[in-house]
Amino acid sequence: MTTATEPAVRASGLSVSFAARTALEDVSFELPRASFAGVLGPNGAGKTTLLRALLGTVTHSGSASLTGRPAYVPQSGGIDPSFPVDALGVVLMGRYPRLGWRRWPGREDRRRAREILGQVGLEREARVPFAALSAGQRQRALVGRALAQEGDVLLLDEPLTGIDVPSQEVILATLEAKRRAGATIVMTTHDLVQAARVCDRLLLLNRSLVAAGTTSEVFRPEVLGRAYGGELLVLDGGAVLLDDAHHHHDPR
Amino acid sequence: MLEGLDAPYLTRALAAGALVAVPLGLLGCFVLLRDLAFFAHAVGVATFPGLVIGAALPGVGPFASALAAALAFSGFVSLGERDRALSGGAVTGVALAGALALGSVLLVSLEVGALPVERLLFGSVLAVSDADVARSAATAALTVAVIGLTLPRLAATTFDREWAAPAGGRGRAGDAALVALVAIAVVCALPAVGSLLAAALLVVPAATVRVLTERLAPMLACAVALSVLEMAGGIVLARVLDLPPGAVVATLAGVVFGMAAALRAAAGRLALEVAR
Repeated sequence: MTTATEPAVRASGLSVSFAARTALEDVSFELPRASFAGVLGPNGAGKTTLLRALLGTVTHSGSASLTGRPAYVPQSGGIDPSFPVDALGVVLMGRYPRLGWRRWPGREDRRRAREILGQVGLEREARVPFAALSAGQRQRALVGRALAQEGDVLLLDEPLTGIDVPSQEVILATLEAKRRAGATIVMTTHDLVQAARVCDRLLLLNRSLVAAGTTSEVFRPEVLGRAYGGELLVLDGGAVLLDDAHHHHDPR
Repeated sequence: MLEGLDAPYLTRALAAGALVAVPLGLLGCFVLLRDLAFFAHAVGVATFPGLVIGAALPGVGPFASALAAALAFSGFVSLGERDRALSGGAVTGVALAGALALGSVLLVSLEVGALPVERLLFGSVLAVSDADVARSAATAALTVAVIGLTLPRLAATTFDREWAAPAGGRGRAGDAALVALVAIAVVCALPAVGSLLAAALLVVPAATVRVLTERLAPMLACAVALSVLEMAGGIVLARVLDLPPGAVVATLAGVVFGMAAALRAAAGRLALEVAR
């Protein structure tokens, strides 16, 4: 039985290794319900691995637990965009786990999927093949699939990377609405500006947990420097990331 | 010209061909969507050591020995491809080379003599037995049942394995079941179309439909229908032209694919013109 004060996400001594390489080491944190957490860190810091460990899809030591049902938006790199499915079909896939993977979605599932398509601004693209959608529209459809799972904890792996600004805004507004409705959001991102704007908790990783807390606690040059090292250029108390050419922002 | 089209042997051939075409058309969609075309080709050829053993031990029979070889091959590939460093057909290639080498060694050491290679490769749909037809019917029913019961899972894991895994998609079990089903369908198709044409019928009708549709359910239905039509049309055409049926079926499927691809290209050009 769960209680209202029980953390929505809890990791204790979480470590993950792949062959001889340590991807995550001794990570411990808790996230309260209805929080919007940003997971930050340079490339290879273990952000994706943390989400996979929380979901239980990688072997790990220590403990990881989610209170309630998870919903997931992985990075879209593993998807075959030419798969024969339209936007409505993608969102309907989110209903399959709820239906036990054998029953076909019914009228109510379709109604709910169309409602979700409206939330992510794709009502007119419902029957458009996934392959014909723009990158931003595809990402919105994938977020819609996670919404259709009706999870209590949404884990999103770089949902804002490589997509247009309007799509980013639609996704963030949708996630914020979900958070207000009581869900817990955990989102990895390279975008410190977006993270500072929308997240109320931050986890800064570099294979181990460098810092956890609010924006003001984590966005300090000496703290960021411990994660990003020489890849960080500090300007007047702010910071500019240099580690990744397509994520080059001032976090203030 | 159409004389003899109602002959019992031809009726049996049409029934056998249609029953073989159903699972090949259905499974072909997932073979295509999961990049398993090389496996589909290899699994038929990899029955070679099983067929040698079947010929050496008449009590075992070619079907059981070929099925055992194909399932062993599928299991090896399923286990081997769990290592991402070996994915992309490397395990299939290694296993195929091993199966061919083993078959060659067994052929000599068991003193089987010469096998009817042409029949192994191309089959003989006009010479199928009642047992072959019954096995094809059972395989068609099994494939329709399995795909029907697991389609949401298969679709979701094929589209996005990373998402499906924590949601309960059981990707690895699905992978193993799918390659095993492909192996069974190919082995059941061997007497009628042989190993090479079974692979062609797995891939070509599905590829033809794929260029014309953007949704999975119509793709599955149309691939089955096209596979059956091409099989039946090829058998009748072969009878009329007095040519080997397997070759005519494969040629017909290739011509239809070419027409579909040309149609798609023309539609694309027309859409560009309209947009301008």
